[in-house]
Amino acid sequence: MTIRRRLLSLLLPALALLMLIGGVVDYRVAILTTRNAYDQALANTAAAFAANIRIEQGQLRFMPAGAGGALESGAIYAIVGPARELISGTPQLADSEAASARVPGRTNYWNAQLQGQLWRAASVVTRTGAGPVHITVAETLERRAHTQQVMLIGKLLVDFAELDLTLLLVWIAVYYGLRPLDRLTDQVERQSSRRLQSFDEAQVPGELRALIVAFNRVLELLHDAAQAQQRFVADAAHQMRTPVAGLLAQLELLQQDPGAAALSVQLGSLQRGIQQLARSANQLLALARAEPVAALHENLQPVSLKLLVEELVERYIDRADRAGIDLGAEALAATVTGDAGLLEDQLENLIDNALKYAPRGGHVTVRSGVDGAAAYLEVEDDGPGIPDSERMRVRERFYRMPGSAGIGCGLGLAIVDEIARVHGAAFSIGAGPHGRGARMRVRFGAAS
Amino acid sequence: MRILLIEDDELVADAVVRGLSIAGFTVDHAASAQSGRAALRTEHFDLAVVDIGLPDADGLSLLGALRNEGTAMPVLMLTARDTLADKIRAFELGADDFLMKPFEQAELAARCRALIRRAGLTPSGVVRLGGLTIDLNGHQLQVNGAVVELTRREWLVLESLAHNLGRIVTKDRLMQALAGWEQDLTPNAVETHVSRLRSKLGSAAVIRAIRGLGYRLDEAGEMPE
Repeated sequence: MTIRRRLLSLLLPALALLMLIGGVVDYRVAILTTRNAYDQALANTAAAFAANIRIEQGQLRFMPAGAGGALESGAIYAIVGPARELISGTPQLADSEAASARVPGRTNYWNAQLQGQLWRAASVVTRTGAGPVHITVAETLERRAHTQQVMLIGKLLVDFAELDLTLLLVWIAVYYGLRPLDRLTDQVERQSSRRLQSFDEAQVPGELRALIVAFNRVLELLHDAAQAQQRFVADAAHQMRTPVAGLLAQLELLQQDPGAAALSVQLGSLQRGIQQLARSANQLLALARAEPVAALHENLQPVSLKLLVEELVERYIDRADRAGIDLGAEALAATVTGDAGLLEDQLENLIDNALKYAPRGGHVTVRSGVDGAAAYLEVEDDGPGIPDSERMRVRERFYRMPGSAGIGCGLGLAIVDEIARVHGAAFSIGAGPHGRGARMRVRFGAAS
Repeated sequence: MRILLIEDDELVADAVVRGLSIAGFTVDHAASAQSGRAALRTEHFDLAVVDIGLPDADGLSLLGALRNEGTAMPVLMLTARDTLADKIRAFELGADDFLMKPFEQAELAARCRALIRRAGLTPSGVVRLGGLTIDLNGHQLQVNGAVVELTRREWLVLESLAHNLGRIVTKDRLMQALAGWEQDLTPNAVETHVSRLRSKLGSAAVIRAIRGLGYRLDEAGEMPE
């Protein structure tokens, strides 16, 4: 689960609930406020009626006049004298007033069921010379209900918009608040597996600094290990090749010496043995160079595959001649970003492998080019080929195909595979032209 | 022809000295960069064979120092480190050739010969290879002592090959060399010129075709099988 999702899943439901409670409270308050306002208006009307009550010839009379007696449409009233006689208005309302819980000295409010409708009633008591007169005014709840409905809808709309906006703002804040993490992730991803550049500790937020410091320390260790391994491989190469070169050169002289003519068979075996030793040493070193740890070292540069093909074909042409194999090139322009030394090892092993298995009179063709967007290196031979079932296994270290001829220690294709891997390239083994021989191809991610 | 070998490994040095001597060179040996520099200052050599991994100084810095002093003598670098980067660096510093250990004596001798021949071109302009005598200044070819007439284009091909003895001359480069003389030159045209040139050389030397790459002028005997 991402931190972003975690934050949102913690924040959003809590916020939504909070907004909901807020909405309910707001609504209740609004209902109360409207009720009070309407009640007050009703009480005011009742009070205004009181001013229109006169005593004429000892009789209480209600004389609606001017604004004081105006009633809202749909409102009713009842004026009851001191002896509970109805002076004016609706008798049922007077009855309802009589039944209501009166509190002396205060405006009295209650809900009444009259004429099959719900009413809100307010009554006041006014003192006259003839005694207390109860004035009751009532209106249907329709208007209030309508106002409350409008308020409810308005409130809901506003709350809904507010909720949306809040959630959106929270989402945006979480999204942008975590951007430094994204940037760091990008940076880590951009560092290809082969670069060991440490990260700038000042560029990350405080929360991540300790992590980055620790990460940088690990990178440093890796960097040291990579350098140590590279140094070791370079030293080992020198230490092993020089005596082997000396042995082979001495042996070559001995083979030309007429005094050693009788030993030519043994000298030939000795030479093959030393050549095999030299080759194994070379391959072990190449494999060590291609080890992920050693290859972490930053040696990336644009490498022309075309030049590499031309260079290596020239290097191997004499060996091919001696083996009676027609070695050729089809070098088309292609450039990749990679480790020149490793790519050279890779192509050398492919050519070496092909020359080992192509028969006398056979052909080996080394190619470079761009296929689609991807640069490739390819070596094709018309030797025995590699059956489908063996195509994965031959990439394993020290694996040799059953019955494979010639000398070898089973490292060549493992090296090719390893170097393809550190370059993010795909190494594939197929059949040569007309289904004969082998076609080995290294396809690089994208041509640059 | 005198060669100075600067190599610290005794086994290699001993074999190279003997091998090159058998091949007809006079070989002196220095076991360190310092003694090598001393020998080069006092004596004349036609070629230096220098190991990159010397105990007292890097063979590449020795090469750089020699070139800084303006020495034009050809230098062949030997190395046990098989990286193209070293090779590129060596050529940048002015090496004439580069050979990796282990190597074959015959190949070392052939390359030494080619380097000395190439270096000898500048003053005399004459290249001798097997039965060929190529006078690059006089624009004349002799095959087994007899002057052979060449067309302009055949001569340009031969000239490119002779300037790069022991090395492959790519078809692209041959096309560039001929481009001034033919407007729409095709790779096939190059092949035609090469094959005509071949028939004129007879068996005195070989123009070895490397499929897809180019040609190399070899001595007739250098071509195995």
